Amino acid sequence: MARIIFSLLLFLSFGFSFAQKPDCSCFVKGVVRDKHTSQPIAGATLLIVGQNNGVFTDENGRYELQNLCPGSYTLECRIIGYNSFQHKLDLTAGHEENFNLQEQEVHLKDVEITAHRTDAPSSQPLSTISGSDLEKTRGQTLGESLKGLSGVTVLQTGSSISKPIIHGLHSNRVLIMNNGVRQEGQQWGSEHAPEIDPFIATRLSVVKGAAGVRYGSDAIGGVILVEPEELPFDRSITGEVNAVGFSNGREGVLSGTVQSGVKKFKGFGWRAQGTIKRGGNIRTPNYFLDNTGISEKNFSLAAGYRNKGFGIDLFYSRFDTRIGIFSGSHIGSVTDLLNVIKNGEPFVKAGFSYDIGRPNQNVTHDLIKLESHYHFQNGNRLQWTIARQLNDRNEFDLHRPRNDSLAALNHPELTFKLTTLTNDVVWDHKPILGKIAGQLGVSTLYQYNLMNGRPLIPNFNQFNIGVFWMERYVKDRWELEAGIRYDYRTLKTHRIVNREKVSQDFNFSNFSGTLGATRNFSERFSGKLNVGTAWRAPNVSELFSDGVHHGAAAYEKGDATLQPEKAINTIASLKYAYARWSVELGGYYNFISDFIYLKPQPEPVLTIRGAFPYFKYTQTDAAFKGIDLSASWEFTRHTTLSSKLSYLRVYDRKNDSYLVMIPPNRLDNQIKYELPDLGNWHQVYVSVGNLFVAQQKRVPPKSDFLAPPKSYSIWNVQAGTTIKVSEKQQFEVGLSVQNLFNTVYRDYLNRFRYYADEMGLNASLRLKWKFGA
Amino acid sequence: MKMNRKLSWALLFGVAITFSQCKDSGEEVKPDEENELITSVVLTFIEQGTSNVTSFVYKDADGDGGNAPSRFDTVALKPNTTYTMTTEFLDESKTPVSDITEEISEESDEHLLIYTPSPATLLTYTYGDADVNKFPIGLTGKAVTGAKGIGKLKVQLRHQPGAKNGKPEPGSDDVNLDFNLKIQ
Repeated sequence: MARIIFSLLLFLSFGFSFAQKPDCSCFVKGVVRDKHTSQPIAGATLLIVGQNNGVFTDENGRYELQNLCPGSYTLECRIIGYNSFQHKLDLTAGHEENFNLQEQEVHLKDVEITAHRTDAPSSQPLSTISGSDLEKTRGQTLGESLKGLSGVTVLQTGSSISKPIIHGLHSNRVLIMNNGVRQEGQQWGSEHAPEIDPFIATRLSVVKGAAGVRYGSDAIGGVILVEPEELPFDRSITGEVNAVGFSNGREGVLSGTVQSGVKKFKGFGWRAQGTIKRGGNIRTPNYFLDNTGISEKNFSLAAGYRNKGFGIDLFYSRFDTRIGIFSGSHIGSVTDLLNVIKNGEPFVKAGFSYDIGRPNQNVTHDLIKLESHYHFQNGNRLQWTIARQLNDRNEFDLHRPRNDSLAALNHPELTFKLTTLTNDVVWDHKPILGKIAGQLGVSTLYQYNLMNGRPLIPNFNQFNIGVFWMERYVKDRWELEAGIRYDYRTLKTHRIVNREKVSQDFNFSNFSGTLGATRNFSERFSGKLNVGTAWRAPNVSELFSDGVHHGAAAYEKGDATLQPEKAINTIASLKYAYARWSVELGGYYNFISDFIYLKPQPEPVLTIRGAFPYFKYTQTDAAFKGIDLSASWEFTRHTTLSSKLSYLRVYDRKNDSYLVMIPPNRLDNQIKYELPDLGNWHQVYVSVGNLFVAQQKRVPPKSDFLAPPKSYSIWNVQAGTTIKVSEKQQFEVGLSVQNLFNTVYRDYLNRFRYYADEMGLNASLRLKWKFGA
Repeated sequence: MKMNRKLSWALLFGVAITFSQCKDSGEEVKPDEENELITSVVLTFIEQGTSNVTSFVYKDADGDGGNAPSRFDTVALKPNTTYTMTTEFLDESKTPVSDITEEISEESDEHLLIYTPSPATLLTYTYGDADVNKFPIGLTGKAVTGAKGIGKLKVQLRHQPGAKNGKPEPGSDDVNLDFNLKIQ
């Protein structure tokens, strides 16, 4: 479900037409539409920031702001049920091309605003990557694409597997909505990356903090929204081809999209998209990492139909990846691990190769989704989404079985097949008195897991039903919202104990709530406050793990009596934007009761590979406190300095201690110089950036083989431009160098930090060809 | 609206198909027969010039997790005595019990056994076998005990596919056990 968050796309449909003489007869006019249904939105407020004149859209969604003097303005659009949106207007820069005689005396801008519906609480901070910022991340994984946002970091296993961390929480505590559907893979595993091709998205957004009411259980740390562009109903053919090359790993990525309406079939639109990725061994500053290649082939198909208030969308995507796992990370015993740590670099030496051998992961993820909605004449709206996902994960160990006949089969040592069916019905009631908007919904999820090979997690069947209700009230400078949700979950597990099948039943249920307010103190200054709750049932690995986790050289044991963990998250943010300054400061306090974690046990566990440190899944109360600060300052014309700070402190309140694997604090600075347009060359820029990551000093004593790595500072440079070849064709070129000085460092959140350094210098070239109108 | 109705039917059909594929994961759960496990290690000492045979065992029949190891013997040997020593590896989680020793012997160019007594004076080990590349294996050998004393005997099975060079460093441990050692 989730017609996700605030996104107001702008079409500058009428171009710019200006006279030279300054008078105050410019006007801005346009239409506000729902991006998804193309229905006009009546009653939206449009304001010029810094002035007191505002207008409402009429029943056809039209608005017009008159008597504006030439100058720069920020147009703000506010709609109940949608997030507010700002757009910069420049009514001074003269463009002669679209000069129109009849409009000679006025400065005109026709702005059509199409708004995505918003589902996330609007009082919760939301960060989005889209447009040119998203382009810069092309070719990278979903996790890496997001790490430029403040408060977001990544949990890595080598350099090819990365999972997003929001405010210190990851895996099962972060929910990913892929095109409106809950992504269901084997998320409990820290080496299981999200099975999503970022090329399907034109927007990646992060809702920070607990958002259980709208998205259901698991959204304790936050929600990641992966949103494709709306289908091109009744439009002519357009498309793009992206080609990205990386020097490190000699990786190439090629992705293409074609989309169109159909001439003879009104209201129809379709899209086809595909990506191929191939890379070889990654190089650290001093050596190659053996078997770190990647091969990925993804595609997606979408088609949709709109007729008046009715719409239906069908979407299919397939993600298919084969990832080599650094062979030097295989250890048999604690002695092996201590030897690698002592050696300071891997024992396994390699050159460059594209070969992917054992150990490796082969994962495919199929998603088919059908969504339909109907807008009633009276303003009510009904939406129904069903989806089926199949996640097929195969993991191959370094060693094949010694037995020749078994080895010849070359079967994966671990196979998981997870099938998920989701069903969401959402009812948006018509605005009451033009001030209160809300929605009610029912979500169900049915899931079963089939597992083969080395016993790790049980087979299970899971059923979940949730009902929710949210309302939002807008008045003057206030926006208030409240919501409540109830979830019920049953879980039946089946596993083999001493060659006998053992089945167990679990039931979990919980309420979630959200309460929030947004206040616009002035046009420049606004504040948000939200208190939200979310809960998460223990996952099967927390309930049933029993064995050595070889990546961590630890014996991990689950506990079938674990209870759900519950988060109460208070999050406040202040935003100031004026002229050359923009500052956003957010603070949060996320208290998670019955937080599930691996607690070190005093006695080690003896196995045939020697004694391993013993960790048991245990519950405590954890407090996550942090600050996200992002600021940008255009200190001279064309030159902008932007900084992002992520600060986090986590404390185990029951044991008066810290917790492991908490992202260290970081500061990201960037200076960007934008050149004025050079003929066909637009948006020419160069930028220099630095990322400083502090050492994590708040770790519990005696919980790790190696102290957290020292702080590090790495530099990057980027440059790019857009070249308009013709009205209908344009090229975008981007150049970047990451880890410019080939700095040797290790990151606390990379699970391979025991074995090897991080990736060295990586230069990349990005080309994008966009065609069609 | 006619079109809408048609589409609604298509939708319902879609739901029917999607949900007809539900299955019970409990029917598919079965014991793992393919993955190899080493559950037991048997060290056998034959006193030279006699027919005295003693065996010392580590046994954890269900592998890691589940039940704790059921046997972890102390290696008790006579002082200043020469023994012929053989080592066996078994997977007792399978029925019938599978003998991993044979597999190791067949792939001897990928395996190396290492015996490390501590203190080192308690026992001296000499390899009695070699692979095709003339590197030692360690499935059979000679153990000569020193004077009376107690300590540990570390037994390691190094798995070194494609990297065996006679040294312990390459590869990883498949077995790493510290037997108590008693020379009396």
